[in-house]
Amino acid sequence: MVATLLAGIVALNVAVLRLNMQVEQLDGQRDRLVSQREDLQSQLSTAAAAGRIEQVATGTLGLGAPESTTYLELRHRRR
Amino acid sequence: MSTRVANRRIRLLVAIFAAVFALALLRAGWLQAVRAQALGSLGTSQHRETVAVPPHRGTIYDRLGVELAIGSRAITVYANPRQVTDPRAAALAVERDLGLEADEVYPVLADRSNGFVYVQRQAGPEGAEALQRRKIPGLGFYPEERRIYPQRRVGASVLGYAGVDNKGLAGLELELDKTLTGSRGEKTVVKDPFGRTLEVVDSKPGKDGKDVYLTIDHSIQGQVERVLRETRERWAAKAASAVVMDPQTGGILALAVEPGYDANRFPRVAQDRLRNRAVTDTYEPGSTFKIVTISGALETGLVTPSSRFTLPYSIQVADRKIHDAELRGTQTMTTDDILSRSSNVGVVTIAEALGRDRITQWIRRFGFGRPTGVDFPGESKGIVLRPEKWSGSTIGNVPIGQGIAVTPMQMVAAYGAIANKGIWVQPHLVERVGGGREVREVRRRILSRKTSKQVRGMLREVVEEGSGMEAQVPGYRIAGKTGTAAKPDASGGYSTSAYVGSFVGFVPAKDPRLVILVTVDEPRGAIWGGVVAAPAFAEIAKFALQYLEIPPD
Repeated sequence: MVATLLAGIVALNVAVLRLNMQVEQLDGQRDRLVSQREDLQSQLSTAAAAGRIEQVATGTLGLGAPESTTYLELRHRRR
Repeated sequence: MSTRVANRRIRLLVAIFAAVFALALLRAGWLQAVRAQALGSLGTSQHRETVAVPPHRGTIYDRLGVELAIGSRAITVYANPRQVTDPRAAALAVERDLGLEADEVYPVLADRSNGFVYVQRQAGPEGAEALQRRKIPGLGFYPEERRIYPQRRVGASVLGYAGVDNKGLAGLELELDKTLTGSRGEKTVVKDPFGRTLEVVDSKPGKDGKDVYLTIDHSIQGQVERVLRETRERWAAKAASAVVMDPQTGGILALAVEPGYDANRFPRVAQDRLRNRAVTDTYEPGSTFKIVTISGALETGLVTPSSRFTLPYSIQVADRKIHDAELRGTQTMTTDDILSRSSNVGVVTIAEALGRDRITQWIRRFGFGRPTGVDFPGESKGIVLRPEKWSGSTIGNVPIGQGIAVTPMQMVAAYGAIANKGIWVQPHLVERVGGGREVREVRRRILSRKTSKQVRGMLREVVEEGSGMEAQVPGYRIAGKTGTAAKPDASGGYSTSAYVGSFVGFVPAKDPRLVILVTVDEPRGAIWGGVVAAPAFAEIAKFALQYLEIPPD
């Protein structure tokens, strides 16, 4: 009975140890994913920068600057 | 063999066992009693490690939530050359994984006189992790954060930069360093003989820095920088700066200086380019400063917009002769004409009637001679002579913007007060911090609604009929003022070749939504603010009005 108890305690400790190792591995994985997300965020922000888009639009796509906006003032007609 | 011999051998064996057992007991006692503490801590140090967890530096966003400065994880690689067993192999591994030159790394790793050297600060995580997996003796690794400015040049002079230690060194990175920087965490881990973490035995959580939202709009900022770049190139100017502000809130939409720089490359940028001239540098404003005297005279009831003055081409003030920019005969001008035609003689005539003390009061009231309090480091308060320091001729030059130095930020705030129906609003760059409330605006009335309206009308004439016609934008009424001032030279006088041309105004004139200031430092080919700065104003205003969907007035 004592032997079974000791074996159980050892098995429990091993299981806890394994779980701890898994937690650490998952922590590392989370850090790597956060790092990747930040890198992607940085790339996205760089790609979405207005200056770069304008450069691509005018340089590569040959687009021109927009014409001036036309505003129409609509007045509510009383009946 | 006799029994006697056998017994002797047994006794000898027992004695030997007893001696060995006694020695083992003594050794166990020595290790467990005398050396216990030292060995315990040695053991702990071999399988326990305290790892620092760096805090995440807060992100800086523009007013629309576009990232202007973000943190990216990095790993710093260091070495203890005394523990590096094969420097050659280590250098080659560093070259493969981090892309550094092995020839440059090898001497550093082979120099055993050092106990600590950096191999690479803030290395890319993928390369550093690959190097870490090689388990090269003597190499160490710790996580850090690297600052990245995704918009590159756009807004660099506002954002400033953070150094390799992730500490703000200039601009808003410095101003907001405490807010952006969190506190470092720590965790103590137990490792197996292979260096794998088995358990976290102690953890002290860190605190990430707060995110900051600015009033800057990255699209307007980018356009303003482009316009300044073109203006500077066109006039071969030494520098140019511009400020775009919402007069109702004091929020700065763009704050640009040229030449600029890419904040990602700040260590390689000349020191002269790193400061934000619009806040830290002063200039003699010239005619744009005339609104102080005119507003003061109107507000105190000394003149009205239609008051008439007979003005010669030049007048003597103490030892100085003041004259207008264009040769003319004696003319009668109204106050309105004096401002719209930018008559030096007219403004000095009104200033003499107003008097030294009242003029200095109005200068202070408009916010000159003290920092505006904009949330940016190193703001200059400008140079304003105290009344007791005035000489006989000072009243002939200060009212026309000479012998006084102001910052572009002070000038924008002053014109903002006229645009904002007489209420001066403190300019600011930070809209809110984290999820907190918006930054509280500081405002004070410096002019009555009536006077500010009168001055707005006069400034409109400057653009419609006067020196600021180049600032016109089709469909909109613009109010503004040109300024051209000679720069002081080393001999204490004024340069005859170096000038600052400027234009400051607001749009739409009736209900202003934008105040814009452009200064061009040492333009060549032309010097007048109405020629070098007003077109840049028009281009900036045209874009901003369309972008912000502000309808024509």
